[in-house]
Amino acid sequence: MIYQIRHVTHYEYEKPVTLGYNLAQLLPRDTHYQSCMRSDIKVTPRQTTGQRRTDYFGNETFYFTLEYPHKELIVDVSSDVRIHDSKTSRDMEMDLDLGITCGQASMILQQNREIEVLESREFVLDSPMIKVFPALREYARSSFNRDRPLLSAVRELTHRIYKDFKYDPESTNVATPLADVLENRSGVCQDFAHLAIGCLRSVGIPARYVSGYLETLPPPGQEKLVGSDASHAWFAVYSPGEGWFEFDPTNDNMPAEHHITTAWGRDYGDVSPLKGVFFDGGDSQKLKVSVDVSRVSANAEL
Amino acid sequence: MDNPAAKMMDALEYQPATGGYDEPFGDQGEIREHWQYLLNGLKTLGPAGIRERQKKAERILRDDGATYISGSPLKTQTWQLDPVPALLESEEWGSIESGLLERAELLNLVLKDLYGERELVRRGVLPPELLYSHGGFLRACQGISLPDDHQLILHAADMVRGQDGQMLVIGDRTQAPSGAGYALENRTVMSRVLPSLFRDSHVHRLSLFFQSLRHKLNDLANAITSEAPRIVILTPGALNETYFEHAYLANYLGYPLVQGSDLQVRNGCLWMKSLGGLERVDLVLRRVDDFYCDPVELKSDSQLGVPGLLEVVRSGKVIVVNPLGSGILENPALLRYLPQISQHFLGRELSLPTVKSYWCGDPQDLTYVLENLDKLVIKPTFRRPGSHSYFGSELNDDERQRLCQQLKKRPLHYVAQEYITPSSTPAWQEGQLVSRPALLRSFSVASHSSYSVMPGGLTRVGRNDQGLMLSNQTGAASKDTWILASEPEKQISLREAQPHPFQAGAEKRAAFPCRVVENLYWMGRYAERAESALRLLRTVFVQLNSTYAMPEQTRNLLLRSVTDLTTTYPGFVGGDSSLLAEPEPELMSVILDGQRAGSVTSNLNNLLKCTDQVREMLSADTQRVINDLRDQLEALEPALQHGLTSAPEEALDPLVTTLLALSGLWQESMVRGLGWRFMDLGRRVEKGLQAVRLLRSSLVQVLPEQEQMEVLEAVLLCSENLITFRRRYSEESEIEQGLELLLYDASNPRSVFYQIELIRKHLSELPVAAHGVGLADEDRFMLEASSSIQLSKLSELAAEYEDSQSRQALDQLLVRLRHLLQETSSQIGDKYFDHIKAHQQLVRTSWDDEL
Repeated sequence: MIYQIRHVTHYEYEKPVTLGYNLAQLLPRDTHYQSCMRSDIKVTPRQTTGQRRTDYFGNETFYFTLEYPHKELIVDVSSDVRIHDSKTSRDMEMDLDLGITCGQASMILQQNREIEVLESREFVLDSPMIKVFPALREYARSSFNRDRPLLSAVRELTHRIYKDFKYDPESTNVATPLADVLENRSGVCQDFAHLAIGCLRSVGIPARYVSGYLETLPPPGQEKLVGSDASHAWFAVYSPGEGWFEFDPTNDNMPAEHHITTAWGRDYGDVSPLKGVFFDGGDSQKLKVSVDVSRVSANAEL
Repeated sequence: MDNPAAKMMDALEYQPATGGYDEPFGDQGEIREHWQYLLNGLKTLGPAGIRERQKKAERILRDDGATYISGSPLKTQTWQLDPVPALLESEEWGSIESGLLERAELLNLVLKDLYGERELVRRGVLPPELLYSHGGFLRACQGISLPDDHQLILHAADMVRGQDGQMLVIGDRTQAPSGAGYALENRTVMSRVLPSLFRDSHVHRLSLFFQSLRHKLNDLANAITSEAPRIVILTPGALNETYFEHAYLANYLGYPLVQGSDLQVRNGCLWMKSLGGLERVDLVLRRVDDFYCDPVELKSDSQLGVPGLLEVVRSGKVIVVNPLGSGILENPALLRYLPQISQHFLGRELSLPTVKSYWCGDPQDLTYVLENLDKLVIKPTFRRPGSHSYFGSELNDDERQRLCQQLKKRPLHYVAQEYITPSSTPAWQEGQLVSRPALLRSFSVASHSSYSVMPGGLTRVGRNDQGLMLSNQTGAASKDTWILASEPEKQISLREAQPHPFQAGAEKRAAFPCRVVENLYWMGRYAERAESALRLLRTVFVQLNSTYAMPEQTRNLLLRSVTDLTTTYPGFVGGDSSLLAEPEPELMSVILDGQRAGSVTSNLNNLLKCTDQVREMLSADTQRVINDLRDQLEALEPALQHGLTSAPEEALDPLVTTLLALSGLWQESMVRGLGWRFMDLGRRVEKGLQAVRLLRSSLVQVLPEQEQMEVLEAVLLCSENLITFRRRYSEESEIEQGLELLLYDASNPRSVFYQIELIRKHLSELPVAAHGVGLADEDRFMLEASSSIQLSKLSELAAEYEDSQSRQALDQLLVRLRHLLQETSSQIGDKYFDHIKAHQQLVRTSWDDEL
C-alpha cells in the first residue's frame, strides 16, 4: 500500500517575527514495515538556512531558520510512504497468546546482555513527560501477571484504556499532566499513548511513543473531505527477543496498514512535529494544521 | 598566661590533627622536609606579621573585585584566601600529575563513546540506566565531535588525601570547571603579600597552564577558520556565583566576555553583536551549563543560551568548549564503574585511585548503602539547584529514614561514596594556626598529544576541624597551592610568551558586545545623574541649615528644583504644602529610597549594576573607587540618621568626591576607544539634561531682586561656578551673567553649550550607521541645539514676559533643548544598542525538560 500524506502547518503572528529557529519532525522515517519513498518540505516564506538530518532515535528532522521579518509561517510537507505487505499480514494473523510471558520478559530484561535488549532499557525509564507514579502502576496492575503472555496483556491494557477513557479534545492540551488524564479519564491520542507507556514502564516493560498518521475512511457513499485527517499517536512495546510491537489505544487495535509512522521517541517531547523559538511577533499567534492521507495505489510494487 | 608575647607565640603553635594524616607533620611528630622552610618563614613573620599580610591580601582581593556569590538571597562575598599556602613536593606531584593525565585521557574516551557508538552500554560495561536516566545525557548532542582527538578539553578533579597518605579523586568537573581563575588570583595575591617566601620556595608557576589553554583554544579555532579566530567567553551573567572568575579570565586571556543575548545565529554561523555590526565567532569557551545553551534543542525555556547554537556546532561552524553534552561525565555513578571502564579502554586500572563508590541503581550496592549509611556520603547523580550531598554519620533518625526512603524510591539517581577523612593542613583562622581538612581541585587542559595539568590548583579548607562539607557555598576558605620545585624555574609570563596577533587593535575592531557599550553609556549617565542630584541636595541642605532664614519663596523654589532635577515627582511640586513646610522626610527619601526611581540611592545602584556588566573593562583603580562607592552607599543611611540637625551635607561629601574620582579616572586612564566615547557621551547627555532641568526649574520664574540673587547663587554653587562668577562679574550679579556662564560659555565645562559641543564631537567619531541623504537624526538634533543657543539673545532670555512673572523665551529654549537631548539619546539607543527582546517558544511547553 502506498500513501501520499500532506501535512500543512500554518502559523500567523500578531506582529512580524524578525528571527525564527525551528525544528520539524514531520518527515516519515523508515521502519521495518514502511519505507518513505519521497518527502518534500516547503517552508513559506523561504527558509534562510535548512538542514535535514537523522536524530538520536533515527527520526528524520528538518532544522530551518527564517532570518528576515515575516508575519506567517507555512510548513508544507508532502510525502509518499509505502507500507510493506508484511505488516498487513503479520499483525492481523498474530496470535498474541504465543509469545513470552510477563515474568519471562522481566527476567530477560534484567539478565540478557544482547545489544537490542540493553538498548531497549532506555524506554523503561521515566522521560520528561512520562513519570511513573503509584496510581499508574495501580491502573496497570490488573493486566499484568507473571504467567500471562506479555503481548496479550498489552492488548488488554490497550482495550481497557479504549474502554475506560473518553476521547475528548477539549479536555487536555499538549502539556496536561498524565495524572490529570488518569484522574479525569479523558484525553486524546497523545494522552492515551502516554498513559499506556507509563503503565508499561511502571511494570518494567520498555515502551516508546510513536507519532504518525491514520488513514480515515469517509462514511459509505460520501466523499472524503480535504484536510480532515489528523496526525495521530500510539505506542510500541518491546518484547525481549521478539521485537517491538505497536498498539493503538485510541482505536483499540494494533496498527497495521492504515497507520503510517512519522517518528518515535520516549514521549511526545522527543517527536513534537514543530518546535522552535522566535524573536518579536507580538503576544499571540494563530495556528492551523491540516492533514490529508490518501491512497496512491494498493499495489506495493510501483 | 599573662605575658602577651608568649600568647602571641602560642598562636603559631600548630597542633597537628590527631588520628588523621597531617600535611606538615609525620606520625612521630617529625616535620616533613618540604614544610620546613614555610613554617620557619611563618615563625619569623610572627602572628602580627601574618595578620598584617592577611589584611593586605584581603585588601588586594577586594580591590580586584574578587567575589563569590552564594546563598539565598544572593550575597556577594569577598573571596576568602588563607595566607598559609598548601604545599606539595615536586616528586609526589609528578605522580599525581601523571595520574590526572591518565584520568583525563580516559574520560575523553568515555565522552567520545557516550555520544558515539556507546560501546560501554552495548558491551555491558555500564548499566544502560546509568547513562539513560542521567540529566546530563543530552540526546540532541549525539554524534557531535570536535575537529580534534580530544573531545574533553578541560577537566578538573577534586581530590583529598586519605588516612594512608594516598591522594584520591572524589569527583570530576567536566561541564565548565570553575576555579582555575581563582587559583590564578590566589597566586597573584600570594606572590605580593609573601614575596620572599614565595620566591625562595621555588614554586612552579601557573602561567604555563593558561598559555596551554590559549594555545589549545587557538588551535581548535584555527581548524575551522583561515582568518584570525575570534574566541569569546560565555557567561550566564553578573549574578552567577563565579562571575568574578569569568570576567577575570576574559581579561587575562584577552577574550570578550559575552552573555547569551550578545550572540546570535545567522546564516548558519555564530555572531557577536558588536557596535560595528555582527562579528563572526569561532570558538565559545562556555561557563554556561550545556543544557542551557540552546532553547531550540535543549532546555526550551532557557534565556541563557543562544537559539540555534547546537545546529551551528553540529555543522562545524563553531566550537564550544567543553563540548555540549560533556556534563554527562560529572555523573558520579561513573566512578563506581571506572575500574571496568579503564580495563575496557586501557586494559589496566588508573594509577591515581578513585574513592570507593556505590550506585544505588545496582540492587547489591543499594543494599550495602542502606546498611552502611554511617560510613558513606550520599550524592545525587545530577547536580541541580537545591540538591546536595548527605553525610550518613550526621543524619538523625528522621533524616536517615527519609533519605533511605528516597534512595529506595529513586535508586537510579543516587550514589554513595566511602567517607574519606581528609588530611589536615595548617590554616590561619581567627588569629592562629589551626589544623583544617583540605580538598584540592586540579585543572587540566588538552594539549597536542595529551593534557597539561596546572602545577598547583585550588585548595579549600574547612571552617572547622570536622570538615565534612567543603565547598565555597558553605564558607570554606581557599588556599594557594604550591608545588615546590627542587630548583628555580625559568620565568615565563603569559603576555611576553605569546603576543596575540588578533588581539592587537582589538579596540578598533570593537571587540566587545553592544551590551557592554550600552552599559558604559548608562554608567556615564547614572554617575552624572547621581552627582548632580547630590550637589543640589548638598546646596539645599546648606541653605536650609543656614542661620540666615531664607525667604519662603526662595526656599520653596529650591526644594521644587530638587524634585525637578531628580524627577521624583510629585515630591515638592505636587502641591502638597505640608511637604514644603516639613521637607526633611521627602529629602531623605530622595536620597535613601532605593525603590524610588530617580533617588540618589537608586541611581547609584544602577551605576553599580552597570559596572558589574562591564567589569572586565575596568582597571584596578576603577575597581577600587567602585568599592569605595559601594561602601559609602552603605554608610549613607546611618550617616543621615540624625537628619537635618547635624550637617547632613557632610554625609554627602564623600560620595561626591568618589564620583569625581571616578570621572577623573575615566578621563585620565581610559583609552580613547569606542568604550570611552560611549561612556563620555552618556555623561555629556546627562550633564546637559541636568543643567537644563536645573536652569528651568530655578531661573525661569522671576523673583524679587534679593531672592533672585539667592537662587542664582545657589545654582552657581551647586554647579561649582560661584567662584568664577564672583571673580568675573565682581561688580554686580545679574541673571544675564549667570545665564551666560551656565548656558553659553564654551569654556565652562559645566555649561550646556559645552556639553552639546562635546556630544557633537563624539557623534562625529562613532562608526557611521547607514542613513539617507544629509545628516543623521541625532546630528541634526545637536546641530539645532547648538545653533539655538548661539542664536538666542541673552537679554531676551533674561527678560520677563509681559508681567507674567516668567522668562518665557528662556523657558521655550530650555524645553526645546531638553527635547533635543532626549531625542538624541534615544537615537543613540536605537542605532547602537541591541533591543531584541527575550525570545518566545513556538509551542509553549510547560513540562520539565529535565528528568
